[in-house]
Amino acid sequence: MAELNSDRVEPNLTPLLDMVFQLITFFMLVINFKGASMDLSLKLPVLGSARPLDRQGKLEPLLLNIDAEGGVHCFGRLEEIQPLIDKEARLLREQLRAAGEPAEKEFPVGVIIRADRAVPFHLLNHVIEVCQKAGYRQFSLSAMTRQETR
Amino acid sequence: MRRKRRHRRDQGSVEMNLAAMLDMAFQLLTFFILTFRPAPVEGQLSLNLPPPITVAKAEAQANENAGNEMAEVGLETLHLQVMANDRGGVKQVILEASPVVTGEMNEANIQRLDRELRRIFGVNMVAFDRIQIAVERRLR
Repeated sequence: MAELNSDRVEPNLTPLLDMVFQLITFFMLVINFKGASMDLSLKLPVLGSARPLDRQGKLEPLLLNIDAEGGVHCFGRLEEIQPLIDKEARLLREQLRAAGEPAEKEFPVGVIIRADRAVPFHLLNHVIEVCQKAGYRQFSLSAMTRQETR
Repeated sequence: MRRKRRHRRDQGSVEMNLAAMLDMAFQLLTFFILTFRPAPVEGQLSLNLPPPITVAKAEAQANENAGNEMAEVGLETLHLQVMANDRGGVKQVILEASPVVTGEMNEANIQRLDRELRRIFGVNMVAFDRIQIAVERRLR
């Protein structure tokens, strides 16, 4: 009987489980859901005066990634700029109408442009112009605050 | 009576099998580690850009406004041209027909341009209503 009992020795898993739960909690807290909308392969320009955007509880801005060839990426997909902005503007108008906000020509929502540092200016300007025609007025250009050391 | 007490003590020593929960916890941990992508340290350069209007219309508007308020304050436009080199970098920055910066926009050149702009805006008599920036097409 005593031999049988000694065969069934089991390790105490409780501390291990505690530690794993702590790790899960850590990774849950630092998870970045916005990462899906960002194209992290872009090389942004470096600008020391760039500051984090203060949205003050406004609606979620439209985020556009522009690669070095001027292609516009939204949530990892290459999109045509004109249909994309038309669709976004239509959805935004519907959203504002549903929220009871007055239908103005200018949107209270900004556009965040994450443009590669190698993109020619005229391609970036074209994207801004399309957004302006749709009714967007507030723009912000993303930049790294310091040079990456990678 | 005695039998009852013994029965209770046996119940108290029941232990849950944690292996299954640990397996699940490890699977969750693997998921979070694999999907872990730290947010890059990015700043924003905020711009408020009204829609583009033609120069003639803007001048007509400005003259109208100037006529309403003070006749002597008219519209002054500061012209800034940015020329590009073959690689798409900045070759020259021309401010009102005089080159201010020649070469790439390094720290020293940015400061030179900043000094020049401050010098122009520091003069009280000159009222610039707008700045016109002409950028060469191939500039990156």
